[in-house]
Amino acid sequence: MDDPIIKLEHVSKELIMKNGREEIVTTILPDISLDIRRGEFTSITGPSGSGKTTLLYLIGGLDKPTSGNAFLDGEEISSMDEEQLAEIRNAKLGFVYQFHFLLPEFNALENVMMPMLARGRVPVNEAKKRAAELLTQLGLPDKLHNKPNQLSGGQQQRVAVARALANNPIVILADEPTGNLDSKSAEVIYRLFTKLNEETGQTIVVVTHDEHFASETKRLVHILDGQIDSDKKLR
Amino acid sequence: MTVKFNYPLAMIAFRQLFNRKRQTFLTLLGISVGVMVLITAVSLMDGLLQSFIQKIVEIAPHVIVSGEKVKPTVPDQLVDSDSSTQVRMIKNVSRSDQEVIKNYPRVETLIKSDSLVELVSPSVSIDVIGMFGTVSQPIQLFGIIPSLENGIEKFSQNMVSGKFDELEKTPDGILLGSTVAKDLTAKTEDRMQLVSPSGKVYSVRVVGIFMTGINDIDDNCYVNMRLGQNIGGFSPDETSNLYIRVKDLPKDGIVARTIEQVTNYKAETWEQKAASVVALFKMMSGIVYFLVFFVILVAGFGVANVLITNVLEKARDIAIMKSLGFKRSEITLIYMLQGTMVALVGAAIGCLLGFVMIEILSSIPMVSSSASAIRTDRLLMGKNPVYFVAASLFALIVSLIAAVGPSRNAAKVNPVEILRGER
Ligand SMILES: Nc1ncnc2c1ncn2[C@@H]1O[C@H](COP(=O)(O)OP(=O)(O)O)[C@@H](O)[C@H]1O
Ligand SMILES: [Mg+2]
Repeated sequence: MDDPIIKLEHVSKELIMKNGREEIVTTILPDISLDIRRGEFTSITGPSGSGKTTLLYLIGGLDKPTSGNAFLDGEEISSMDEEQLAEIRNAKLGFVYQFHFLLPEFNALENVMMPMLARGRVPVNEAKKRAAELLTQLGLPDKLHNKPNQLSGGQQQRVAVARALANNPIVILADEPTGNLDSKSAEVIYRLFTKLNEETGQTIVVVTHDEHFASETKRLVHILDGQIDSDKKLR
Repeated sequence: MTVKFNYPLAMIAFRQLFNRKRQTFLTLLGISVGVMVLITAVSLMDGLLQSFIQKIVEIAPHVIVSGEKVKPTVPDQLVDSDSSTQVRMIKNVSRSDQEVIKNYPRVETLIKSDSLVELVSPSVSIDVIGMFGTVSQPIQLFGIIPSLENGIEKFSQNMVSGKFDELEKTPDGILLGSTVAKDLTAKTEDRMQLVSPSGKVYSVRVVGIFMTGINDIDDNCYVNMRLGQNIGGFSPDETSNLYIRVKDLPKDGIVARTIEQVTNYKAETWEQKAASVVALFKMMSGIVYFLVFFVILVAGFGVANVLITNVLEKARDIAIMKSLGFKRSEITLIYMLQGTMVALVGAAIGCLLGFVMIEILSSIPMVSSSASAIRTDRLLMGKNPVYFVAASLFALIVSLIAAVGPSRNAAKVNPVEILRGER
């Protein structure tokens, strides 16, 4: 399949901030066009504040561009309303953030079940089975019933990855997923992404500061001041 | 937590509440107390009204026919056919002291022909002075046919002393209401005197004393019809009132209207007679409910409070759920569910407390007061499941209304803003 799974056409993002009566318009992304093919494993690097998170949120339909069009899997997500975007995020996307963002009241198993149970997409028993499988695959078979605060940072992040994978998304978006982890835990997460990409062919976009990890991916996009500074195919 | 993870929205709602035990507990307490107070108040007010109505219905005439004419211009059709119109007119005008039903046996027959009527009992009423020893006081005296009137006022069930049957057998017998007996200090078998409106003195013998609990009735005294007519100066076919019991109570209005049409005598239902008392009850209830309303309102603020806090504190979690693909409606539902849960549990506890409260209150002995309309030795509490359902529903509605605002705010959370800012 040659059509890109992610396509940004002259996408811009401006922030309007009100300072008293004055309106200050900040341009975060002036004009970005980007195609990502199915099965591609892309890393995005760039200095802090360069617009990487903003870009990722636009790709994932969490945020809307000020102008330009964004497509995901052939659908224009930039023109969708909030409820349609929620459906797309639930069905086609998996997010991993710098902070694990697990729900504190629920154990690992239940957190992974969440996306499956939204709108009753998957029956509870099935969801439970799949969540347990995912957590076992990610090396947490004995932590199913631990609450997030009973897990280490690396374990929390692995639960978050399992949750991102719950609905078998076609695209996984990760925003500095190892930013808060020690190098050993970071290594585990990286290997996980690589393995996923190789085994399931899921499209993965990872924002990272880790030069070494970035060099291991298939494509490296470097962002500077909201613009694509370089875009290198690595393998 | 041992509760199974079943339906995620309900579980999220439940867990968030459970994590804020103290605040949730206080909110529950607010609702419980509100529901309890409401149930108790309704039970008390309704209990009073219902027992009053029940008593009245049990021992008061359902319809009272009086000598007053509905249409005064229509000639009296019930006078014997052989008396001339002229004579009749003079007779009507001359009897200015009291409105009377003339030729009542015929009126009675007419009324009885209505199949809805169970019982008709004639009753003459006279204001007399009762004297016993050195005590004397005004008495409302009634002349009755004991066996008939007993079917309406149920004296035989309410005798404090003596036997009701004695009255019929004793031409000069008198039956005293408990209040009168107490005031005159007269007892059964005592002889006492009655002074008629025209000043004649009659000696009567007390055959018994009754107490119904309705002060209006316990103020009365009863003699045989014949004696009553004599004291009041009525002729044998005249009476002041006809008391009627109907077979099917809700139809008393129909019966009264039929009587008015057929006989041209005024017929009033017990509802009309008791209207002012019932209205007073209703007004009192209204005031009580109004006060209770504020109790529940405060409980509603409690619900709003716990939800607002949850939404504020859980903004991060809401953002996460939205990023995972939960829709606005689902987020709204979580917090509406929280309102519902608090309301239902609070209402359940409130119902329990209300039940206990009613049991306790209705078992406390009370000093009876002659000032009230009815007299009992216990608080008359109503025990109707409807109170519980109604109070719970009310609490639920108030809670849901209180939950709407916070729930909508929760749905409005913008995930991007929160997730960016969260550290
Ligand atoms: N909600 C916001 N309010 C103010 N500034 C913002 C907001 N979102 C993004 N920015 C600004 O936009 C720029 C890009 O942010 P971001 O996409 O988070 O960059 P990165 O992820 O590369 O660090 C930064 O200068 C940041 O301060
Ligand atoms: Mg960032």
